[in-house]
Amino acid sequence: MDEKEKSPVGFLLLIPALMVLLLLYMYPLIRAIALSFTDEMGNFTLANYNKSFDLYARDILYTLGITLVTVGVTFVISILIASYLRFKQWKFLDYMYRLPLFIPFLIVGHAMRIFLAQHGTMNSLLTRIFRIEELPGYSGLWVGLVATFVWVMVPFSTLIILGAFKALDDSYIEAAQNLGSSKWRIIKDILIPLARPSIMVAMVLTFVRTISSITIPLMVGPNNPNMITVDMMFRVNYFSDWRVANALGVISYLIVMVLAIYYLRFMVTERGGLKR
Amino acid sequence: MNVARITLRIAAVVLILFIIIGPLVGIVLWSFAHRWYWPNPIPQEFGLRYWQMVFRQGRILDSLLLSLTIAVIVVGLSLLFAIPAAYGFARYRIPMERVLLVLFLMPQAFPQLPVFINLASIFNRIGLGGNMWGIIFAHTMASLVYSVWIVTATFRSIPMELEQVARNLGASRLKTFFTITLPLAVPGIIASAIFVFLWSLGEFTAAFFIGAPFIQTATVLMYTASMGYNMQIASVIAILLIIPSILFMIIIERYLKAEYLAGMGG
Repeated sequence: MDEKEKSPVGFLLLIPALMVLLLLYMYPLIRAIALSFTDEMGNFTLANYNKSFDLYARDILYTLGITLVTVGVTFVISILIASYLRFKQWKFLDYMYRLPLFIPFLIVGHAMRIFLAQHGTMNSLLTRIFRIEELPGYSGLWVGLVATFVWVMVPFSTLIILGAFKALDDSYIEAAQNLGSSKWRIIKDILIPLARPSIMVAMVLTFVRTISSITIPLMVGPNNPNMITVDMMFRVNYFSDWRVANALGVISYLIVMVLAIYYLRFMVTERGGLKR
Repeated sequence: MNVARITLRIAAVVLILFIIIGPLVGIVLWSFAHRWYWPNPIPQEFGLRYWQMVFRQGRILDSLLLSLTIAVIVVGLSLLFAIPAAYGFARYRIPMERVLLVLFLMPQAFPQLPVFINLASIFNRIGLGGNMWGIIFAHTMASLVYSVWIVTATFRSIPMELEQVARNLGASRLKTFFTITLPLAVPGIIASAIFVFLWSLGEFTAAFFIGAPFIQTATVLMYTASMGYNMQIASVIAILLIIPSILFMIIIERYLKAEYLAGMGG
C-alpha cells in the first residue's frame, strides 16, 4: 500500500515548519551554549562554569537527588497501578489515575502548596478524621516537592506502562499461572522484563520532565537548596547574569543528554517517531 | 470474607480520592472563602466575592482573555505550519524522515527554560518582548510536536486509494486534498488543536519570561497571586484553567498516547 511519491514537493511542504524550529528553537539553543562559554568581550572562557559550580554545586546535587527519588517512587507506584489494572478491571481507578494528566504543573504547584502546608487542607482533613497530631507542613520541604512531582508524573508513566502491559499476550501470564507462579512473580519475572523498553521510556521522560520543571520547585520547593531551574531564573531576574544562567542550562542539558539520546533513539528506531 | 473485601475496597477508594481529589478540594474551598483562619477546617465565611471580582476586575479578566486569545492564535498558526508538513511526511518520501519527525519533539524532550530565556532576550532586542506575539511565536514553536505528529498519524491512517480514485476521475492534487483528505482528517486535526490549546493555556515559563512584566497571561497572574498569598484569586484562576483540561481529556481519550503527552503540564 505504501507507494509514497518521490518528489521535492514533499520537502518543500516541510520547510515552513522546519524554519520555525530553526529560528525559534535552534538559534536560541545555540546562543545559550555560545553565551555560556564566552565573557563580555566575546572571548572563550570557562569562568561561567567555574562560577556555576562554586555557587551551585550543592543545588546541582540536590536537583539530581530530587529527580532520582521522584523517578524511583514514580516507578514503584506506576508498576503497582499498571499491574493491578492489567489483572483486574476497575473503572474507578482507571479514570482516577489519569485525572491529573492535563492539569498544568503551575496549578498543581498551587494546589499542593495549599494541600501540604502546615495548616493546609491535608492536615485539617487528617486531624479531623483520624484525630491524629498535626503533621509538619510539607510544602517547602523536599518531601512535599517529591510528593508533588510524583503526583504529576505517575499518570503519564502509568499510561505508558499499562499500554505495554496490555499489549503483552495473555498466554504468557496464563502459562506462568498454570505453573503456580504468584502475582508478584509474574509482575517481576514476566511483565516488567517484557515491557522493559516502554518502562525505560516512561522513566526517562519522568527524569527529563522533573529536572526541567521550574513551576513546581518555585511553588512548593524549599527556598534553599533550590533546583537549578530556579537558580537559572534568579540569575536572570535578579542579577541579569545570562552567562551563568546559560552555563547552568548547559549543565542541565548535559545531565539529560545521555538519557535523552537513549529516548530519541528509541523514538527514531522503534517507533519511527510514530506508529503506523 | 466478603465483608473484609468490601471494607478493603472502600478504604482503597477513600485513599485514592484523598490523594487525587484532595489537593483539588483545597483550591475549590479557597476560591469561595471570604475568611479562613486556622484552625477551622473549612472557611469561616463563604461567598462568591472573589469569583465576582475575577469577572469584574479588568486586570484579571484581561489576563484570562489574553491567555485565550494567545491559545486560539497559537492553535491556528500551529496547524497552518503543521498541516502541510504532516501531508509531506504522510504522502512523500522524505530523506531522514524519522530524524526530522523527532526534531519536532526536541523542544518538549529537552529542558525548555534555557531556550525560553534566550528567546526572551532575542525578542527584547527586536521589540517582541512584553508583546503578545512574542509569546505566540514561542508557543507555536513548542507546540508543533503535537500538531505535526498527530496530523501526520491521521493523514497516514487515511487510505491512499481514496485519493487515487479522485485523481483518476480527474481531480487535481489540490482539489483532492481539500475535498477528500482534509475532511477525513478533521477528527485528528481537532484532537491536535485541543492538545495545542491546552498546552498554550497552561504554559507558564515562556509567558513569564517573554511577556512579564508588561503583559500577564492567566498563568503568570495566578503565579503572582499565589506567591503573594492572595490565595482566593489564585484559586479562582486555577479552577478556571483546570476545567478545560478535564473536559477535553474526556473528549480526546482515544488520542491519549504516550508520544503526544510527553510535554503536557509544562
